[in-house]
Amino acid sequence: MVSHEDVIQIARLAKLSVKEDELEAMTKEMQSIVDFADAINNAPTDGEEFDNINNLSNVFREDVVVESYPTEKILENAGDKADDCFLVKKRCL
Amino acid sequence: MAEVKSKIRAINEMLTGKEITCTELTQQYLDAIDKSNGDLNAYVNVTADTALKAAKAVDDKIAKGEELPLLAGVPMTLKDNISTNGIETTCCSKILEGYKPIYDATVWKLLQQQNAVLLGKTNMDEFAMGSSCETSVFGGAKNPHSLNHVAGGSSGGVASAVGGNIAAYGLGSDTGGSIRQPASFCGIVGLKPTYGSVSRYGLIAYASSLDQIGPITTTVEDTAIVYDAIAKLDPMDSTSQGNKGAGACATLKNDIKGMKIGIAKEYLEGIRDDVKEAILNACNVYRSMGAEIVEFDLPALKYALPVYYILACAEASSNLGRYDGIRYGYKTPTYNDVNDMVCKTRSEGFGSEVKRRIMLGTYVLSAGYYDAYYKKAQNLRGTIVKDFKNAFEKVDVILAPTVPMTAFEVGKAVSDPIETYLTDICTVPINIAGLPAVSVPCGFNAKGMPIGMQLIGNTFAESTILNAAWHYENATHSTMFKSAEMGVKL
Amino acid sequence: MRYELVAGLETHVELSTKTKIFCGCTTEFGGSPNTHCCPICIGLPGTLPKLNKEVVRYAIRAGLATNCEISRISKMDRKNYCYPDLSKAYQISQYDKPLCKNGYIELSNGRRIRLNRIHIEEDAGKLIHQKGDTYVDYNRGGVPLIEIVTEPDFRSVDEVREYVEKLQLIMRYIGVSDCKMQEGSMRCDVNISVRPEGQKEFGTRTEIKNMNSIAFMAKAIEYEQERQIDIIESGGSVQQETLRYDDVTNTTSSMRGKEDANDYRYFRDPDLVTINVTDQEVEELEATIPELPDEKLERYVEKLGIPEADAQLLVKYRRVAEYFEKASEGTANPRTAANFIIGQIFRTIENESAKEEFDIPVSAESLRELIKLLDSKKIRMNLAKSTLDKMLETGKKVSDLISEKDMGGLDEEATKKLCQEAVDANPNAVADYKGGKEKAIKAIVGYVMKNSRGKADAMKAEEIIKQIIQ
Repeated sequence: MVSHEDVIQIARLAKLSVKEDELEAMTKEMQSIVDFADAINNAPTDGEEFDNINNLSNVFREDVVVESYPTEKILENAGDKADDCFLVKKRCL
Repeated sequence: MAEVKSKIRAINEMLTGKEITCTELTQQYLDAIDKSNGDLNAYVNVTADTALKAAKAVDDKIAKGEELPLLAGVPMTLKDNISTNGIETTCCSKILEGYKPIYDATVWKLLQQQNAVLLGKTNMDEFAMGSSCETSVFGGAKNPHSLNHVAGGSSGGVASAVGGNIAAYGLGSDTGGSIRQPASFCGIVGLKPTYGSVSRYGLIAYASSLDQIGPITTTVEDTAIVYDAIAKLDPMDSTSQGNKGAGACATLKNDIKGMKIGIAKEYLEGIRDDVKEAILNACNVYRSMGAEIVEFDLPALKYALPVYYILACAEASSNLGRYDGIRYGYKTPTYNDVNDMVCKTRSEGFGSEVKRRIMLGTYVLSAGYYDAYYKKAQNLRGTIVKDFKNAFEKVDVILAPTVPMTAFEVGKAVSDPIETYLTDICTVPINIAGLPAVSVPCGFNAKGMPIGMQLIGNTFAESTILNAAWHYENATHSTMFKSAEMGVKL
Repeated sequence: MRYELVAGLETHVELSTKTKIFCGCTTEFGGSPNTHCCPICIGLPGTLPKLNKEVVRYAIRAGLATNCEISRISKMDRKNYCYPDLSKAYQISQYDKPLCKNGYIELSNGRRIRLNRIHIEEDAGKLIHQKGDTYVDYNRGGVPLIEIVTEPDFRSVDEVREYVEKLQLIMRYIGVSDCKMQEGSMRCDVNISVRPEGQKEFGTRTEIKNMNSIAFMAKAIEYEQERQIDIIESGGSVQQETLRYDDVTNTTSSMRGKEDANDYRYFRDPDLVTINVTDQEVEELEATIPELPDEKLERYVEKLGIPEADAQLLVKYRRVAEYFEKASEGTANPRTAANFIIGQIFRTIENESAKEEFDIPVSAESLRELIKLLDSKKIRMNLAKSTLDKMLETGKKVSDLISEKDMGGLDEEATKKLCQEAVDANPNAVADYKGGKEKAIKAIVGYVMKNSRGKADAMKAEEIIKQIIQ
């Protein structure tokens, strides 16, 4: 059973805010999706751990410096910036 | 009987034969977009200047008598989750409004090297999460065959534009059917390549272990041409291997006598009668061409849907964590502290379907649930992979419906999430197994809406399925393909 | 009641590869904000990581130098938590398949501190807080780290101190990191609990994060140990929590922020593939591990006959040890080189980091040249010493400072002549000596030595002088 507390905890981890009046609906919805996922509960498994889809290994980069991007490019899409840094103001009211 | 003409080759001949300049052709497409996009809502961002600049460059090449790559000057489109340097790329989400990448996706790099002409970025379900394109912040793309039906999803914009002849071809992305399903709904061709054959670098991730970029075109040969152009090993993507074969074009027209085409009964359960009938007719077409129809079982198929949603949402919950308003995209105007800023930005910036999947993904990865859901689903993924491996011991190609039904009416899909998830039953197993599959038109229902079938191949067997698709297309084109009455006529 | 400290360490060491762990940006320290960045290390949508081969090699070498088993199959996982210094909202790290496992570092008291694991991961960016505003600089984001995790095997602050110094030294010897705590290229988190002596079970532990000085760490542990004992003594119980140490007030305080959501939802990173390490690779890397401090120390003492205290000072700095071995090569007695280094040379070097650098004007070769002159009795010790001083001042070579004629002792005749001269030049000293001041003769001998540029035989000279005076 998905509880209100579960939903609040999951939302906290996912950095999503849940308003009091949404909580009941979200819990119901979570429950229905979880029920849907529960279809695998009694599926037989061989216990073998799945690697990656094409079983690739050892794909590496050589340790060679590539020129970095200009700071203004790096900051180009930032909403707030100052002193060549991304900026998060203490608060905005 | 004349072969079905590749649109890309036709345009290439028109340009090299100087029947039309690339600038004129591009302008024709731009005008057609002006005319039809209001109805189709296929494009969310038309890049006329970029397109005309690229067209000019092609005309200069022609004037200088330079060698023209096959894709040079062919007006095309990209799904809005493929990064384009300096051109807004939003995944049709409020949270990426105004975001202009500072680098190019590898596929876009490759196409630019062939002088591609980008008409604009096309509509999609937000972050590719949806089956109707209607979770887009810009509203859904419409079906060229009937404007009160959806184009499908998530690459609905590309399918709508190509089906509506306001792009010669386009690139979409397919995580659980997002290329094949809209191609099927719009009565055109769409290929989901083998996982790893096309670089994901620059594709804004939904579910990294399932995402693949692929072409949506009007003919099978066009799909082969575009696939050969983008299936390249990319040092920027650790999971990329390129096209391991000689390429799809080389063997496209080979004889298919004796080819073993498999039908799994699990794939014919719970699908609409008209779709089932179309599939069985396709079997007969193949028999008539000397192919052998083989029946076999795919027992693990029944777990594919929950496995898909568990894995895809788990990866998505992690991939979408980075949208916090700090480095790019939307940032909430008012907040009390950093954490509040991040939570409000995400809650206001993401649509409800995206939040739903982030929540589920976070849930199945969180302490106490990981083993029962994520770990178990990973394990079942291995089982499904084995099931398909066994199948390809017996058959060369698997024939299956692309979608259990035809295009939904506008507004019908979004009502119940679970109901909508179920419509992905035929496409998701292919992504889980990392296999290639191409959807081709195979009929129309009573209302005249297109039906699609998919041809599924073993890993890196794109050439085999496109070979099989080409023969089917050429045998049935006159009856199975209907061009929508709009857009550019060549 | 007496209490016992139980502590465990998690040490983050920044690897000195040229580039970051998943992109080609430089790992150089400092640089103005966001100048060592690219789409990958600021986590732009659509970018993908590509693992730096050298990072894997460095980590395996660190494991081999600390007696670890090297995993043949390893992978990268995502550690999910949202914090502004983490551009992707997950840190790419290793969870259940670390590269190295089950190692140990042995302390001077013979106890072995067991290493649970060494894994590779990416560093986070830097947050600068000003009047409540937060400025984010991603230069450090994506710099490769190894995290070295011990079992809770420490029983005293001294053991912790020795372990950290030893770890630092080993990493420097194998050249995987400069381990500069002040620059943050080595940082420690310490888990602390206390228990009544003799008790088997561990007490509740607290964790102090991100300490970047051995001295502060020692203070922090002592403070936290006392704090926990006080709580228990006063009938309370210790709360399991993460603490921050304030070196100004020398107190620990509870940490807020990302720690209040520590369900990291680890899962395999689908953007990266399996890491397979072959036996051959391990052998090749094994061969690159140089003689480590402990082995050196033993050899210096056992084979070269250097007093342990001196040997300690030599192995404490990799460059000094290398210098010593070059300078003493082929000389009669390695102790000579050792004494010159620990004595005269160290006297010209003010601080630890300068000793670490050990960038001095006298090459090991020219010191050896000087020592060989001594060995062949061509010059005497006091001339050698004064010459070395000049070399250290001027950077000149031995040959510039000592000419042929300075070499070889002074013959009988010349010594007699010089002694007569000395007696004539020092009437007072002569008088004092005659007046019974035995010591006064030293002044006269000194004159001889000085004017013979140290070549005269002091004993002989004293004899002659006595004869002259009588």
